Amino acid sequence: MPEPAAAVASDPRAVPFVVADGIAKAYGGVQALKGVSLSLYPGEVHGLVGANGAGKSTLIRVLAGLAQPDAGRILYDGRPVAIPTPHAAGALGMNFIHQELAFVPSMSVVQNIMLGLPKKSRLGFIDWRAVAREVAPVAAKVGITAPLFANVKGLSTAENWLINICRALIRRARLIVMDEPTASLSAGEGETLFAIVEELARSGVAILYVSHRLDEVLRLCHRVTAFRDGRSIATIDKPDLTRAALVEAIVGRQVERLVKTTTGPSTGPAVLSVRGLARHPRVKGVGFDLRRGEVLGIGGLVGAGRTELARLIYGADSTDAGSMTLEGRPFAPRSPAAAVKAGLGLVPEERRAEGLLLTKSVAFNLQLANLTRIVHGRALPLINGGRRTSSSLKIVRDLGIKTSSVDTPVGRLSGGNQQKVVIGRWLLGGPKVLILDEPTRGVDVGARGEIHRLIRDLAAEGMAVLVISSEPDELPDLCDRVLVMAEGRIVRELEGEAVSRNAIIEASYAEPVLAGVTS
Amino acid sequence: MSATLTPNRRLSPGAKAALGFFARYATILGLLAMIGAFAVLSPRAFPTVNNFTNVLNQASLAMIIAAGLTLAVVVGELDLSIGFAASLHGILVTGLIVSSKLPIPLAVVIVLAAGALIGLVNGVIVTKIRVNSVIATLGVGTILTGLAFAYSAGVPIVAGVPEAFLQLSLGRWLFGIPNNIVVVVVVVGGLWVLVERTALGQEIQAVGGNPAAARLAGIDVDRIKVLGFMISGTCAALTGILLASRLGSGTASAADTYLLTAFAAVFLGSATLRDGEFHVLGTLIGALIIAFGFNGLNIFGAPTFSQYVLQGAILIVAVGLSSLGRSIAES
Repeated sequence: MPEPAAAVASDPRAVPFVVADGIAKAYGGVQALKGVSLSLYPGEVHGLVGANGAGKSTLIRVLAGLAQPDAGRILYDGRPVAIPTPHAAGALGMNFIHQELAFVPSMSVVQNIMLGLPKKSRLGFIDWRAVAREVAPVAAKVGITAPLFANVKGLSTAENWLINICRALIRRARLIVMDEPTASLSAGEGETLFAIVEELARSGVAILYVSHRLDEVLRLCHRVTAFRDGRSIATIDKPDLTRAALVEAIVGRQVERLVKTTTGPSTGPAVLSVRGLARHPRVKGVGFDLRRGEVLGIGGLVGAGRTELARLIYGADSTDAGSMTLEGRPFAPRSPAAAVKAGLGLVPEERRAEGLLLTKSVAFNLQLANLTRIVHGRALPLINGGRRTSSSLKIVRDLGIKTSSVDTPVGRLSGGNQQKVVIGRWLLGGPKVLILDEPTRGVDVGARGEIHRLIRDLAAEGMAVLVISSEPDELPDLCDRVLVMAEGRIVRELEGEAVSRNAIIEASYAEPVLAGVTS
Repeated sequence: MSATLTPNRRLSPGAKAALGFFARYATILGLLAMIGAFAVLSPRAFPTVNNFTNVLNQASLAMIIAAGLTLAVVVGELDLSIGFAASLHGILVTGLIVSSKLPIPLAVVIVLAAGALIGLVNGVIVTKIRVNSVIATLGVGTILTGLAFAYSAGVPIVAGVPEAFLQLSLGRWLFGIPNNIVVVVVVVGGLWVLVERTALGQEIQAVGGNPAAARLAGIDVDRIKVLGFMISGTCAALTGILLASRLGSGTASAADTYLLTAFAAVFLGSATLRDGEFHVLGTLIGALIIAFGFNGLNIFGAPTFSQYVLQGAILIVAVGLSSLGRSIAES
């Protein structure tokens, strides 16, 4: 047994509900878990932190019955158990809520909650009214405000989370594993979720809370286990739980905090001017100037229209109204191809879905926007293999991308390194304007610092950079100036000293916003 | 071990590697084993230079149309119009030569252009009107069959086909290499260079692999897809022309069966050397497997129905191998 019974569990003498003991697991040649141990007590919120590739997801897969451990054992109420299938995990009262929520989009809220469960029926037909009467109190408890018979398609990510939690409770869950729960929630929606997590813990459910966001972990968790390189490094109890302790456990070395090379608010000429840009229903008239050499942040709640704005600037969607100029000339791209030609680059929010071809090599993904530069010439448009490799290697070195070679499929890289590949794609061409949408989402602490430094360097070299982020801590670290959007409009401009986490959060709520989940 | 082939579940790394090797090389090993078996069973008729040349010559038309289809599937679409299109093109080229008295080179160029045009129509319907490519090309193919009957009034164009046109596919080149094989080398080689070695080819691969990512990387996805259809259409036209030359006539429905052969070759090819990815060289190997299989059946005097059974079975095995390769690559 790796650690003594923790004092934080609701009952100090409680038997741990689930214990993972010395779990090891290899995939192919990669030893994903080298022996991790973890105890979960009823009524505790247990944080699980670690860099990408530390083994968090693998442990979850083992607990969920999606992977079988090569070594180690799992104790359930003190007895060893095998979890051969996801079904077996469910029968033990273990529920898993993943980042990508699984729903049947054409079904109603109550149908999704009851998916796969026996339902009340009359004369062989499911009696949905009776089912709904049963579900309603649980739904109210977790704060679902949508009607039970509404279609899930139009609901926010936050409400999807609530539906999943409700599903877990209906199944009498004793353990709920939440994987990056706030990754796509706004600050306000996050608050709602935290309140529910605390309530669940009080009622005796064990919560395993997996997150990169240390602020949340510090605030919410009673105990936190940190993984590094497939081992459980430390389990830290509440009194000793500090940010520095967690970071040290995760990284194993002191992280250098990015010192912003404050050049002061750039007063250079505007590279990109946006005036009255609109597209129904998310963007309602946005205007700003982006200057040479500045990092301009766009903050706000999820759904404020920030990604949609980026897509309009980039020509990925058509505009209803408004105009833009690029270096003084009218700029109205009809497609991303036209925007790229004019000197723009985009690092999209969904790295795997929109940024990369996962089965293709690092070099293939890096060179995708630079093909004209690696051919022998205009007359002979054959790829010059040597130039392709050398220019890819340069980017790999400059950005510190960890890969065995430029021919490795990019899908085998960790999240942070994948993100560097998407960013690196745009460095070869040297665009005038680079837009980064959530550049460090799902990226570990170390890689996050490196990506931030890279963005600052690009701006210092004269690139105009636009950064969209939902993480309140990210923009103050990174930006000279921050625009806060709410309900499709810019509601606040923050500059220099005024750029702070609290100012951004406060401004996000400045307008009468918050459709959907309220707390 | 359970009976499932899903490779990431309870398979040792060694078993997975073996499965991966099997998925990549099964087609090539199968081809070699088949050639070896036929050579042993029929040592006098099968392993001769004459028979091999004959097989390659027979397979050449399927190789051309399948290589063209490969471009359509690489950009992520299906083209079901190619067989019907090739039939129409065969009638068209004989009609232009016999009835309209056009010089042969001009007739060939016109028909190739018509093939590209049909591809353009397919591409525009799929990319601009957003009709699913299966439906769009099936619809266009059916229309083409109608046009073929209309143009020929249902009667094969046989009389008056000049000898020079027949020589197009029957003739031989240097060292007695059949013209058809020369055409295959040029077409397949050209398409291989295009896809694997040019900047445009990288864009073509990207569009098929992840259209959303390709678009945001600044690639004109619609243009690339239309190009894929146009190459597919042009290759179908070339096949139709050579088939008319070989048959000495323009006959409605003559090339329809090439559709299935081409798909079998393309999917066999995607299971060859790469993990379920379509590529030109693989298609070539796929077409060879089918050609040698049929040749063997012929030599042993197998009844006609067995060819259909073989072709259907090959198609299913090919797609199975292809998706096995993909699931290994993704795990």
